[in-house]
Amino acid sequence: MTATGSAATASATSTATATATATAEDRGGGGGGGGGGGGRSRSGPAAAAARVAPWLLLAALAALPLAGPGPNLVRLLFVTLVWVTASVAWNLLGGFGGQVSFGFAVFYGLGAYAAAVALNAGLDPFSSCLLGAAVATVASLAIGLPTFRLKGPYFAIATIGVSEAVRVVMTNVSATGGASGYRVMEKGAFHQLQHFYSALGLAAGAVAISVLVRRSRLGLALVAVREDQDAAADLGVDPLRAKLLAHAIAAALTGAAGGLHARYAAYVNPQGEFAFAISVAILLMPIIGGVGTIWGPVIGACIYGLVHEEIIAAFPQLHLLIYGSLLIVIVLFEPGGIVGLLGRLVRAVDRRGHRGGSGGEGGLGARGGHGDPGDPGDRERLGQQAGHESRGRGTHAAAAP
Amino acid sequence: MSGADFVNLVISALLLAGVYAAMAVGMTVIYGVMKIVNLAHAGFLMLGAYFVYELYERGGVDPLLGVVLAFPAFFLLGVGLHRTLIRRLPVSDQPTLASLLLLFGLWLVLQNLGYLVWGNADRAILTPRTLSVLRLGPITIPAVRLVVFGGAAASLVALELVLHRTWFGRAVRALMQNRDAGRLVGVDVEGTARVAFGVGIAFAGAAGGMLAMLYSFSPDFGSPFLLRAFVIIVLGGLESFAGVAAGALVLALLETFSIQLLPASYQPAIAFSLLVVALAVLPGGLAGLWARRRRWA
Repeated sequence: MTATGSAATASATSTATATATATAEDRGGGGGGGGGGGGRSRSGPAAAAARVAPWLLLAALAALPLAGPGPNLVRLLFVTLVWVTASVAWNLLGGFGGQVSFGFAVFYGLGAYAAAVALNAGLDPFSSCLLGAAVATVASLAIGLPTFRLKGPYFAIATIGVSEAVRVVMTNVSATGGASGYRVMEKGAFHQLQHFYSALGLAAGAVAISVLVRRSRLGLALVAVREDQDAAADLGVDPLRAKLLAHAIAAALTGAAGGLHARYAAYVNPQGEFAFAISVAILLMPIIGGVGTIWGPVIGACIYGLVHEEIIAAFPQLHLLIYGSLLIVIVLFEPGGIVGLLGRLVRAVDRRGHRGGSGGEGGLGARGGHGDPGDPGDRERLGQQAGHESRGRGTHAAAAP
Repeated sequence: MSGADFVNLVISALLLAGVYAAMAVGMTVIYGVMKIVNLAHAGFLMLGAYFVYELYERGGVDPLLGVVLAFPAFFLLGVGLHRTLIRRLPVSDQPTLASLLLLFGLWLVLQNLGYLVWGNADRAILTPRTLSVLRLGPITIPAVRLVVFGGAAASLVALELVLHRTWFGRAVRALMQNRDAGRLVGVDVEGTARVAFGVGIAFAGAAGGMLAMLYSFSPDFGSPFLLRAFVIIVLGGLESFAGVAAGALVLALLETFSIQLLPASYQPAIAFSLLVVALAVLPGGLAGLWARRRRWA
């Protein structure tokens, strides 16, 4: 891995080579175990810890309600797990594939509405959420086919338009109550723990899918598209197919998350489920956590889910102010988000000659195989404006983070 | 629809188009010179609205004068933001996602600062002008729309003069066409970009003030207009000022006449659908449109 890392650094100016090395690295990273973004070194106790940590986390979360923390904490965890699912899903397309979408509320809302309608029709909860996922998937294809012909920022702008249009339409659909919303009437008693465990299962599934996608051909194709779509197409990757597939998987997960939340809240409305704020939240979480990594979106969603509830109660507007400032700081100074910052801290602590070039991290700005976001090369490309050719190249790659 | 109705609608569409053009032109200047899509545009529209509102409520300054004052105030704000934030972005010949997200973050900050300062109540600027109407036989024109249109047209003419008669204007147009060639012939790229960003923000603030004379506003004021501005500059070819006028006219006509056909509650969807259609029928993004436009010309 060290050899690959330095090779990537040396050839970072050439985007095509950067793509090749990035894919090679990801293949290597895939063999290194499920640790993903968390564990950097590939051997020794750290790797073992990185491999075990997710399972410990899952077990701890599964056992937590048994300790009797009270319904409010369980509710908070439930909501956070729903956010985790959506955040990890967004990262499949936005992080691995570099296609930033401002429109994930469409999938969240459609999943919520579809599940709500199905529940009221008497379908069981599992099938209802599955239906929500299916509806969201169909929507993702309908949205993706035209908009994926647009590159980078244009895709992002188009998704704003799509999501606003869908919200306006849903506000006017009288079958689901229009603007006043739609109530879910479920027979039987309310079991909070059942909701919690289904959300935990879905979130764990989303992380597992994220790991699998990253190891798969699809993951390699997405990273290649992110780095340079034209070069990827030349190498035989079908960019449209890769993006559509990632979009569909992400939409299915987000739709299922929306369905779970609709069932829990027993109420959906266009201003809630289709709100631009939902799209914004789903976009912010992975970026804050560390875009393009396995655990970054999870961390981002946990912070958002847990902190959000506290701040929003005290200062209704302050939270978006904070997230906005955070976004500015992250874009300008630490495109790797919290995971990138942690990685930088870890490397600062053990600076012992060898470069831990795992390099699989995404990051918003420049990348192209640099293991180290704090690398002078990266700094140069993000911070100042020098060097003609490498800058043009670098920013081109950055156009699809 | 009677003939008088038709004429009334055309006139109101034309008057609306003027404001829309002033609103969108700031985005075009910034995009043209820096290849940055200014998502924070909505935030500056909102700030401009409150700027004019506060001047009127506290200082008794006429809203029209407030709009004029907004130009220098927001110009300085834009220059300051360029110095502190925008300058740090990587330079690129096409919009980067880093720039998109940075300005999106800026929008979030501005919008929620607005909520902190002014709360979420709707405000409106009410002057004796607001409700008066000019009548020419069967044709009626709201006076405030006419005044705002006049302001918008004057600012657009001024911009056009600056772009075609001054060194700064030449530099802006050179950078729009080719940044590297501009640099080679001695254009100060960063300095021009800074001024251009200031001009773009100045237009955003002033347009916000103009819109505030027509509509009530809250800190969320800008977002519907942000998407309208997108539609206009996408339709207009993103880098052309004549295109902005044409795009503004198309959108204004479509919005005005669609009220006859669609329920008013669907009206916000028109701009968004138009945006998606305009973007989607142009493979390769907006550069394709630009190239095609040039072929037509």
